[in-house]
Amino acid sequence: MAEIAQNYSSHGNPLRERRVLTKRYCRYALAATLLSAMAYHIFVVETDWARMGGIGDILSTTAEFLPNLAFFPVIVAPLFETLLIAFWGTALASVIAMPVAYLAARNVTPYFPITYPLGRTIIVLSRSVHELIFALIFVSALGLGPLPGIIALGCRSIGFLAKTTSEAIENVDRRPIEAMEATGTNPVSVFLFGIFPQIYPIVVGNVIFQLDINLRRASILGMVGAGGIGYVFSEQMQAYNWNNAGTVVLGIAIMVIVGEFISNRVRTRLISGVGGDRIGAE
Amino acid sequence: MTFLEIHDIKKTYPTGEEALKGVDLAMSEQEVVALLGLSGSGKSTLLRCINRLVEPSAGKIMFDGVEITAIQDRRQLRNMRQRMGMIFQEFNLVNRLTVLENVLAGCLGYTPTWRCFLRAFRRDDIERAIQTCDRVGLVDHIRKRADQLSGGQRQRVGIARALMQRPKILLVDEPTSSLDPKIGREVMDLMSRLAAEEHIPMLVSVHDLGLAQAYTSRIIGLQGGVKVLDSKTSDVDADILENVYHIASAA
Repeated sequence: MAEIAQNYSSHGNPLRERRVLTKRYCRYALAATLLSAMAYHIFVVETDWARMGGIGDILSTTAEFLPNLAFFPVIVAPLFETLLIAFWGTALASVIAMPVAYLAARNVTPYFPITYPLGRTIIVLSRSVHELIFALIFVSALGLGPLPGIIALGCRSIGFLAKTTSEAIENVDRRPIEAMEATGTNPVSVFLFGIFPQIYPIVVGNVIFQLDINLRRASILGMVGAGGIGYVFSEQMQAYNWNNAGTVVLGIAIMVIVGEFISNRVRTRLISGVGGDRIGAE
Repeated sequence: MTFLEIHDIKKTYPTGEEALKGVDLAMSEQEVVALLGLSGSGKSTLLRCINRLVEPSAGKIMFDGVEITAIQDRRQLRNMRQRMGMIFQEFNLVNRLTVLENVLAGCLGYTPTWRCFLRAFRRDDIERAIQTCDRVGLVDHIRKRADQLSGGQRQRVGIARALMQRPKILLVDEPTSSLDPKIGREVMDLMSRLAAEEHIPMLVSVHDLGLAQAYTSRIIGLQGGVKVLDSKTSDVDADILENVYHIASAA
């Protein structure tokens, strides 16, 4: 201890040496310059403060979005369509994500140098493209309606589901897999009987989580013609029916909150069920 | 007649660890042989080389007239594995599946994948699985999940799964090491009785001398990947064993 203390005093305080301090203040100056440049550009150059009017104007315009409840019956059917788009999009993604996860899990991928990068690429592509872009592509290819929306959500959701599933596969208990390999079981059956039962609660939890997110995504797809409530919203916005647009926002909010409440309950139940009551297990 | 013949088998793991340094072994169709040795002596590696869960680095293994080490085709390898039952130290069950499903895993080797997908096993396989559960004393537990059983019961599921394969040999890896001594004896009793009834030869790795003497007809001593003893259990006297253990414990 004494030696360390002595070294310390003979070297001075290494955190306050001139070189270290200079470097640190230069970094602060750089950060401050960048931040003010960014703020200047967005708040001074690009914002039209003159057109905004006073606080009162802003508040009264915003108040025009207060929901018009008489419009509510009109949006019930499109809301239901939105729910169905989210459901079928998630279902589509769940089915496709399983084989993709199989390719993208290090421990089971059939031929690592080819199938592993393939699986990872599908995941990255799916996650890096926005659902509206997928929707635009499929609206062009398939025309207007809920079908391109379903496929767009499917494509967008494969990545998340395949990624979480492949991670679950990488974390399974190896021992029962070994036992099944020892009985001469082929790799696909090993997956179905040895791996899937182990990852099943995680997969179902993630599918429900994804369904919850897709409900939100589905509600904007209509803006580009891919079905659902989003079409009503953009229609009312273009007609300057702010109150009706506000009703749509309210409807989406109710649907999402109810959806989240249900999915949370189901997931909590599932997760608390993992492992079961382990009596006598080591 | 020689049923299983292991010739100069070597295994070096990618880590550089030499688990087996040239082991020879031969056993007949009626034998129950113990692989005796301390942890790290190469018992588990040797057992896994026989069904090629571990690929041997060198050497030759003949089983029932087939050169196992020469099999290239995966399908052929799986067919060969179907005829070898394996029982594990840590039971290796799928915890979230029922006892019956774990036992049925023993017939996955010859069950088509679509049946596996739908869990639509053949009726006679299901009946045989229930019978096998009965023989290991678990017929009242077939609907329970594997993780609801006690250790001894879990190993019985492991035994039933191996018997479902109608194996021509049982490769048994430290079957009692995860169990307390009393339950361990019960499991050994059951396993030996069933193997004898079905005339299945067994190769059992153990580190407990008492178990080897009580249940096997021949003892093979392994130490540091080398065979240091091979003689009939009745011929093995205390001095020789003392010697093996002395060498083993010195290593």
